[in-house]
Amino acid sequence: MKIPESILKKVEKPGRYTGGEWGEVIKNPENVDIRFAFCFPDTYEIGMSNLGIRILYSILNDREDTWCERAYAPWADMEEQMRAHGIPLCTLESGTPLSECDFVGFSLQYELCYTNMLNMMNLAGIELESKNRKNDDPIIVCGGPCTYNSEPVADFVDICLIGEGEAELPELMDIYKKHKKMGFDRAAFLREVSKQESMYVPSLYDVEYNGDGTIRSFTPKYDDVPAKVRKRIVKDMDTAPFPKNLVMPFIQTVQDRIVLEVYRGCIRGCRFCQAGLVYRPVREKTPEVLNEQAKILADATGYSEITLSSLSISDYSCIEKLTDELLPWTNERKISLQLPSLRVDSFTKELMDKISTIRTGGITFAPEAGTQRLRDVINKNVEKADLLRACRVAFEGGKTQVKLYFMQGLPTETDEDLDGINELAQSVIDEFYATPGRAKKSPQVTLSAACFIPKPFTPFQWEKQFDMEELLRKQKYLTGKITNRKIRYNYHDAKVSRIEAIFARGDRKLSAALLEAAKRGMRLDGWEEFFDYDKWMEVFEYCGIDPAFYANREFGEDEILPWDNIDIGVTKEFLLRERHKAYGEKTTPNCRLQCSGCGANKLGGERTCCPKMQ
Amino acid sequence: MLPENAVNIKIRIKFSKTGSLKFISHLDLQRTMQSSFLRSKLPIYYSEGFNPHPKVVFSPPLSVGVSSLTEFVDVKMLADVAPAEIMEKLNASFPKGLCALECYTPTAKFTDIKWGLYEVKFELTGEIPEDICQKAQAALTAEEIIIEKFTKKGEPKRVNIAEGMRFESAALEGSVLTVTAKLSCDDASFVNPKYIGETLTCAMPEVFTGAEEETCRMAVYLADGETLFK
Ligand code: SF4
Repeated sequence: MKIPESILKKVEKPGRYTGGEWGEVIKNPENVDIRFAFCFPDTYEIGMSNLGIRILYSILNDREDTWCERAYAPWADMEEQMRAHGIPLCTLESGTPLSECDFVGFSLQYELCYTNMLNMMNLAGIELESKNRKNDDPIIVCGGPCTYNSEPVADFVDICLIGEGEAELPELMDIYKKHKKMGFDRAAFLREVSKQESMYVPSLYDVEYNGDGTIRSFTPKYDDVPAKVRKRIVKDMDTAPFPKNLVMPFIQTVQDRIVLEVYRGCIRGCRFCQAGLVYRPVREKTPEVLNEQAKILADATGYSEITLSSLSISDYSCIEKLTDELLPWTNERKISLQLPSLRVDSFTKELMDKISTIRTGGITFAPEAGTQRLRDVINKNVEKADLLRACRVAFEGGKTQVKLYFMQGLPTETDEDLDGINELAQSVIDEFYATPGRAKKSPQVTLSAACFIPKPFTPFQWEKQFDMEELLRKQKYLTGKITNRKIRYNYHDAKVSRIEAIFARGDRKLSAALLEAAKRGMRLDGWEEFFDYDKWMEVFEYCGIDPAFYANREFGEDEILPWDNIDIGVTKEFLLRERHKAYGEKTTPNCRLQCSGCGANKLGGERTCCPKMQ
Repeated sequence: MLPENAVNIKIRIKFSKTGSLKFISHLDLQRTMQSSFLRSKLPIYYSEGFNPHPKVVFSPPLSVGVSSLTEFVDVKMLADVAPAEIMEKLNASFPKGLCALECYTPTAKFTDIKWGLYEVKFELTGEIPEDICQKAQAALTAEEIIIEKFTKKGEPKRVNIAEGMRFESAALEGSVLTVTAKLSCDDASFVNPKYIGETLTCAMPEVFTGAEEETCRMAVYLADGETLFK
């Protein structure tokens, strides 16, 4: 059912719940075999900002046999109304209850959205635990970066798609259709799915634990279920499915622009960065294809801004050619072009001139650590001189604002490294005043510091996060050091970072905590107004879970890690090697300079910089 | 600034805003229009600057939740395009709920809009008195219609809106009472269409409390309250 208008009139931003946007796909339910509810476990504005998901929506709807619709987490005011009036969570397009769909898919982009997923299932009247769901209940499938370690949600999801959905979703639909024709049996279906490349069915594995809580064994329940699930990639990015149409949000979203994915993966190997490793190997699109796709999206959306997206845009081997192709027509059509994620060593006058014809404001870099020593530890191959040179280019071009991203609490970090953050900011200010032809304004340096979170599939996956007390002390320490009023210092909430750390390296035992949190009505944890650290601590205590076991413990190098059954291409040996190099303060060259044998090349891929496998 | 000698044709588009669209704010309507214009590829003039926007002007905003059959937007065109083509391209790129109805060279200014004709449908759930239409008329044509407004500081203030309310009709069909009235759109004496429901609830709480209401702006008029704004 659609939400009645009387309720829409009572809530904030009713445009979140109406559907009916430009580009939404409406089909006749009689003419399709599969109903898929694509859910984003956060609000409409956040979900609709994710272009990748809007692309998957189109890919599923390109199939004649499938109708993919959307659902988002309602805001608290709407949830209250829904519960008061007994309205189940429904799809935006047709108002079909999620419980009546064949698939309910969740894109898990960050750990804090787990409670939203459960709350959405609860609002839809779907049994949370997979073992309680019956033959006719929807299949819960999830994808997105969190599924690389989906163990904390293992009790709730039926299928985790490991890797890139463009390739996996259509195949999953085919298998489902086959089973539906045969007379659908849930167990048989899941069993067959588990044998496919990159499809992980958590319920088909048994986990045993040691007395200290670490994993003793992780074994498939049946012989034909694979012990390891390998990530799937889109081999050729140029020919990957690409939509002709996109849904256009009615209300302002966080990313109201075209985000054009230029390549996947990253040639750098920052040792804290999960994205840089799980998306390996690097696979580029050609400038010709990108230019075409940009035009298609511009026509389809009517957006007036294009952001070239990738983990580090200046590492794209054809960046010059691409901007040369894009600029003539984007300028003519008054579409502005943005290049985020610039590296300081690639920030040149030419590049800046191109973007600054259209864009004003500040410039952002990510040195991540305050001293060269610590930057070597994390393998951020950036030197202070590079940063200052890049800033000077920006200042000569009239910019006055610089934003610098840092991470605090990195392995081996000392107060000296924190001092370094302040000193670096100070040097940027000095550089400003030393730049002839700078603007006649006063400069502003904003330091934005996140807390280090050890992430699976990184060389730092074994590291501990500093405990709360120490994280807070570090923030206080740096606050005290910064005396220059031209330097602004923002830092993330350490409590949020700790909860993220717990779930990032969590195992199946955490499903119990999530279930309890759901029972207590916890959700919207990504929102300051709802996140409640103390409530989380109560939940862990109630469930007999020690949060420090996950967040503040150094994991053993010979320990079985909760995510060891997932093969992302990059090997554990490589990660371990990198960890040891980190402690030796030794850097590793980027993939274009030299292959370091991470193992990702076994996945194949076109336009990579990897050596071909024999 | 427009380039010299450039063709610069001002076009007024009359459109309706119904369905889902009535739930989006004026600001979001502007965004939706902007992307629709870009999709239509009509030669609409864009403001210069770092973030170019179509240069458009809208008629007075509607409250969220109110639909309208008579909204206007003015744009500048850099080439002479036949009205039929403008309409066709716009309607092809509008989401459903937005519909271009007419386009022409404007004469009147938006500030000339002084009256709006509204239709409010009440879905009544309780017992309905036989003479409900007469009673509704009486309440809406009273010499004094007192409404509680809130000042900018948030303090309640009692205001007489009788001057800005011209009752037109009341009709009952089944359990749906349809009331139409012209309300002042003038800045000084602006009457929000929700006051129709509030006045009726005040007069007959047993009939109107909790009734669902659906409001639509049907037409807008000049100062005489008779001549349609174009
Ligand atoms: S195989 Fe070599 S070149 Fe390829 S991603 Fe790994 S380290 Fe880089």
